[in-house]
Amino acid sequence: MSYKAIIIGGSAGSFQVITKILANLPSGFDIPIFLCLHRLKHVRTGFEEALSIKSTLPIIEPYDKQHIRPGKIYLAPANYHMYMELGNTFSLSTEPPVNHSRPSIDLSFFSAAYTYKNKLVGIILSGANKDGALGLKQVKLAGGVAIVQSPDECQVKTMPTAAMAATSVDYVYTTDQIISFLKRM
Amino acid sequence: MLSKEEITLFINVVKKISTYDFSDYSERSFARRIDKILSDNRMELPALISKVKTSPEFLEKVVKDITVNTTELFRDPSAWQALRFRVLNKFENQSVINIWHAGCSTGQEVYSMLILLNEMGLYEKANVFATDLNTDVLNVAKKGEYKYRFNIDYLDNFDKVINENPFNYEDVVNVPYTKYFQVDQNKDLLKMNDFLVNKPLFRKQDLINDGNIFYTKFDLILCRNVLIYFNHELQTRIFEMFHQNLFAKGYLVLGAHESMLGPVAAKYKRKGLFYVKK
Repeated sequence: MSYKAIIIGGSAGSFQVITKILANLPSGFDIPIFLCLHRLKHVRTGFEEALSIKSTLPIIEPYDKQHIRPGKIYLAPANYHMYMELGNTFSLSTEPPVNHSRPSIDLSFFSAAYTYKNKLVGIILSGANKDGALGLKQVKLAGGVAIVQSPDECQVKTMPTAAMAATSVDYVYTTDQIISFLKRM
Repeated sequence: MLSKEEITLFINVVKKISTYDFSDYSERSFARRIDKILSDNRMELPALISKVKTSPEFLEKVVKDITVNTTELFRDPSAWQALRFRVLNKFENQSVINIWHAGCSTGQEVYSMLILLNEMGLYEKANVFATDLNTDVLNVAKKGEYKYRFNIDYLDNFDKVINENPFNYEDVVNVPYTKYFQVDQNKDLLKMNDFLVNKPLFRKQDLINDGNIFYTKFDLILCRNVLIYFNHELQTRIFEMFHQNLFAKGYLVLGAHESMLGPVAAKYKRKGLFYVKK
């Protein structure tokens, strides 16, 4: 099975996990990765730079209608919802926060599930709310692969636990196992 | 989420029974709006379609719900700082400044502009026009009254733009916000002062079909986070329309994560957040 995209959602306690994943991807990794991460409302800049320090691949906060390219990591910009459209482009939206979140993990996952169907891998990491649970369920319904970070390893396990309650996930992985999985893709 | 086929079906029905045409909207973004309308109304798509066919009032409501109306006072303070020190200052020697807020929603951006113009001594020479498709949000804009509780950021943003200078940290002034608006916490109300409310001209306008409805060109057009709901082709048409309605070297301001792609971009010179008519 060849996958066309990976989408990762995370909130409280996910920053170090993401950093570790991005630091361990091979530099030739050619599947686009979408990151939808909650951030503090006042921390609107600097996040991209902080993630870039250890990442082997370039990290981009996409502009509306920007083309999706392989080998890039795309981070949902602060204060926007991020959608992946058919035809390999992004669209952004400023509609109100969903579950107090903008970007909303659910909304990004919904659009990715529709656009990439069974060619998508969805991953939910540590976090203190239920955002992403319905999104991961949608990934699964569309035929994609659903992964959650092992709640035992999470700093805050509400998010992966909620996702596991919403759908039958394919894998419950530690950070290292997520990295091995991605490397095998 | 609704499929592309379902979305196309809905768009075609609306096109047939009204003047509204959503064919050139960003598809997934549009699908999300319809999903939200379905869940808010506890409806499935076939029921939504039959109800818009039979009730013109319901269709109007749906159209209003499709459009996104989020806005803030001084949204993205760094953009306003750049407007202040890199754009508006260039108009100081003009006798008249024409400004158009295209897609002004509930008007916070318009009042942000008026406050900034007043602080810069440009208020009297400015003609400020503001348009939106949705008459409900225009009515809010005309009143200049907002909820206070969820908008505490407004005060922070005000200080960043009006009282601080990012290019000179010693240049700090202390303008009280009460010069421009009053806060009544008991009533949960933030109300713009009358002199601001009376200044701008608010009008209903459809960006796609109406073009420029004012009998003038503009020095500055702000259209922030409006065109993101449209596809690339429609965005291009509107960038062309703005180009025709800007004075030479006039400025177009887009949202923080918007850009201009394709041949139309050659008609503008990009300066950071701003696009200057060539």
